[in-house]
Amino acid sequence: MPEQPPPEMVTISLDGQEIEVPQGEYIIKAAEDQGTYIPRFCYHSRMKPVGLCRMCLVEVETPRGRILTTACNTPVAPEMIVDTESAVVQKAQEGILEFLLINHPLDCPVCDKGGECPLQDQTVAYGPGESRFVEEKRHFEKPIPLSDIVLMDRERCILCARCTRFSEEVSGDPLIEFVGRGNQTHVITFPDEPFASYFSGNTVQICPVGALTAKPYRFKARPWDLEAIESVSMVDASGASISIETSQNEVVRINGVDNDATNHGWLSDKDRFVFQAIHSENRLATPLIRDDAGDLQPASWGDALDRVADALGSVRGDEVASIGGANNTNEEAFALGKFLRTVVVTPHIDAQVGDALNPEFLAGVTPRAEIGDLDGAATILVWAGDLKEEFPTLFLRVRHAVTQMGAKLIVVHPRRTGLDNIAAEKITYRPGEGPEVVRKLTAQGDQDYGAVRDLLTAGPVIALVGLTGRAEDPRLAEAVAAYALGLPGSKVLPLARRANVFGALDMGLAPTLLPGRVPVKSESGRAELESHWGPLPGEAGLDTAGIIAGLAAGDLKALLLVGADPVRDGRNPDAVRAALDAAEFVVSLDMFLNDSNQQASVILPVDGFAETEGTVTNIEGRVQKVNRILPGPGQSRALWSILDELSSRMGGQLGAGDGPAIAKEIALVAPAYRSMTWDRLEWGPERDGVVMPDRDGVQELRFVPDDSGLRPTAGRLALHSGRVLYDGGTRNTQSPALAGLTPDPAVYLHPRDASALALADGQEVDVAGEFGTVRLRLELDPSLAEGSAYVPANLDSTWVLGVPDVVTVEAQSSKGKKNEKKKGKKKGAGE
Amino acid sequence: MSVATVISDWSAPNQERARTLLEAYPERRSAAMPLLYLASLEHGHLTPAAMAQVAELTGLTSAQVQSVASFYTMYKRDHVGRYLISVCTSISCFLMGADDVLEAIEEETGTPDGTTSSDGTFSVEHVECIGACGGAPAVQVNYELVEGVAPERGATLCRWLRESSPEVVVTDEMQKYFGGVRSFDWGITETVGAIAPVPAFGPYGSTGEESA
Repeated sequence: MPEQPPPEMVTISLDGQEIEVPQGEYIIKAAEDQGTYIPRFCYHSRMKPVGLCRMCLVEVETPRGRILTTACNTPVAPEMIVDTESAVVQKAQEGILEFLLINHPLDCPVCDKGGECPLQDQTVAYGPGESRFVEEKRHFEKPIPLSDIVLMDRERCILCARCTRFSEEVSGDPLIEFVGRGNQTHVITFPDEPFASYFSGNTVQICPVGALTAKPYRFKARPWDLEAIESVSMVDASGASISIETSQNEVVRINGVDNDATNHGWLSDKDRFVFQAIHSENRLATPLIRDDAGDLQPASWGDALDRVADALGSVRGDEVASIGGANNTNEEAFALGKFLRTVVVTPHIDAQVGDALNPEFLAGVTPRAEIGDLDGAATILVWAGDLKEEFPTLFLRVRHAVTQMGAKLIVVHPRRTGLDNIAAEKITYRPGEGPEVVRKLTAQGDQDYGAVRDLLTAGPVIALVGLTGRAEDPRLAEAVAAYALGLPGSKVLPLARRANVFGALDMGLAPTLLPGRVPVKSESGRAELESHWGPLPGEAGLDTAGIIAGLAAGDLKALLLVGADPVRDGRNPDAVRAALDAAEFVVSLDMFLNDSNQQASVILPVDGFAETEGTVTNIEGRVQKVNRILPGPGQSRALWSILDELSSRMGGQLGAGDGPAIAKEIALVAPAYRSMTWDRLEWGPERDGVVMPDRDGVQELRFVPDDSGLRPTAGRLALHSGRVLYDGGTRNTQSPALAGLTPDPAVYLHPRDASALALADGQEVDVAGEFGTVRLRLELDPSLAEGSAYVPANLDSTWVLGVPDVVTVEAQSSKGKKNEKKKGKKKGAGE
Repeated sequence: MSVATVISDWSAPNQERARTLLEAYPERRSAAMPLLYLASLEHGHLTPAAMAQVAELTGLTSAQVQSVASFYTMYKRDHVGRYLISVCTSISCFLMGADDVLEAIEEETGTPDGTTSSDGTFSVEHVECIGACGGAPAVQVNYELVEGVAPERGATLCRWLRESSPEVVVTDEMQKYFGGVRSFDWGITETVGAIAPVPAFGPYGSTGEESA
């Protein structure tokens, strides 16, 4: 966190004790920080207080005598005298609880919250013991679904408004609200407008009773049977802290953990429910070898590893390449890099599959912002993918900075984004014309974007820079970063989405980088590593695009796919498939079969989320600990142990005996990680993670932007291939709670483009590009720049299109003509 | 989306009124409550579609608009009759025999408290204090006040409404023929009244002139 001036302190008397507390702090928080817990239901430290439940009543001395007041929304004042335990306070607490329980069904034995319920706990601690209420309780139909995921039991609800305030204040999509009044007040959605929020699971977590429940956990376990371990969400690279909770060796729930540095306790529903995929019946649980007939057959680990060792040993080292590793821990990524560089001896290593941002930019941009810097920013520039879709918890932090901390927001994107409604300025540009926007922003005296330029004169400026869509030239992000770094007091937060892509780059899974943010081309850095590892390839290797081309040309013979699916993520799916076919040998280390590894020679099942222990690195360069609470399914193994055994079969020495051993080696050979130990991350203030390099760490890598001569791309309908949260990725489709949330594939055009092409809203159209054609429903979208077409990436059918720069959109072609005529007639008749 | 597209199914004058109301406040959402009356007038009552339209106009979500609409009992989310009879049953009126007034009105209209008659002429409800304690028991017709309404006068009032079905109901007119003791002298005679079960207020377009 950035340094902030210490708050002014005042002295108050709390239960007879003089204490020093920050001026303006609410009594409830000041007391809690001093170890005095005041009971509460509606108060939540990450939301504004409302004083609704009245549970936090305390006695405060005033000129008019002692009064009962709510501790949650009364700020402390100098010499205030507060009593939290007086007879009057106790009577008030008993009274409030008696009132709250009047209509509460007390169905605790069948309630999922029973055992971890604030109402239950506080009734035991502060309640009256018995109720005088003998009349009939209020009844509601229950439980009613608010969405595909969340259910509402209105009888249990105590109307604390935590859920409704979260939706309005934090996530900004108030789809649930109080309805009615008095005894009939309840929380509900608008008819036929479900609580379809990316963040709905948070309301379940913060509900202080069992009113809101989420389908994946309902009736699955009792809280006292749960085992829990803290870890980090692997959905995106923002490093949200979580608690993984299991019952009988099965993950049943994930809750957010309040990490001041990253997620403030909030999670997206994808973070929260994606764990279901690890228990999917489609998980790979045994090694598979392709037999002579071309079918995959289960095999023993010994046979499978022999086959891989033979194949990799029978070609030159630099004929082997590796794609992937961004979904693994730092330790696994490090072991993979060391295996490739010292045992196989190849420089062709890339953890990035589709994004292809310059690894030197991602790992080396300086000064690099921390997420906490957003709260102190005067202006925030977001020129990246739609954060709501790609970085949901970071989206909430930007929202917080703008709506609560007063930062001004500028969004630059080819289409509407989730942040537009709180943005002070929005620039919408045609995909491919980004360089022109940068030029206009930079040019002196240019008349365009005056308001944006004015805002950007006020620092500190925090710029969130990444790719707005997959068709974007990756160099644009570098140009944007170069521009942003020239703004007053600016820092850049580089954004690449995949879970641990920053850790993978830091561990050297990039063609141009060695472990610890050292460029391959650095003589001294390489010499230092060679003193530990022995001679290394001195040249930079091929990136994913180069590897695909090399396989197709026959220059590369063998490929490792490490949790990667380049067919779906690549620019040209057919070309990637052809390259994979051309390879003599493909070994996949994965949790699932996918479009890329279906044809692999050997497939090795690896442990995944919640099954491996190690560290991960987020967008800030913050290292956090991920933990293991389960064994992998069947015979699946940790990646490092597979690589260790493979090394000895190939006559090498990886020395990756276990996770801690690898962690020690990382601290030894990776300069930016020199002071990193697992112990530091396990407990104490550094449990929130540590931004590398710190203390002894050094970072040689410095991103130096160069004018690469980036020019706008031309073409009729420029493609915007933006990502959506619930895409057709394996983890989504393998998680029952999320699988149904995938949006229907469609192509979006500006209404004027559609009418110029004589196309109507809802019509079936053919979208064609350089690499493929796909039939999609047309939707009109006035938020798009004219002359562009938006196709959400990686949905059921859209991935076939690949990522061409431009597309054509036309009514169904000759093949479908008959169909079209029929439909046309029907439509005509209907109208 | 422009105002015209959101409420293209509204009458032209009401579209214009909506535009004026939206412009009257620095924040669009502040216009939600007056717009809810206007939407009630347009749709007969506050249908979900009407609430969704108000949400669209004010930049709120439909759930938020529903929350506001359901908090206030004067926003009717169910069918409401042409004449909404509100009988005050708060303390003063209760002491002066409001229960008998309500019973007489229920009997005359054949419409139990809280319901609407099958022919859609009457809705009858009991309400909390309507600020006419000095003239208890008090009754409102489409929010137009009548004071000192004895049970049989209440029944007569309802009969008159059914038989002559006035386009506009005006407080002073009803007070003259069906009312009793008033809280105080209301001063000059008012000739403007309500044309629908929505408070008579110029900007809503819910007012009409008494036919002389």
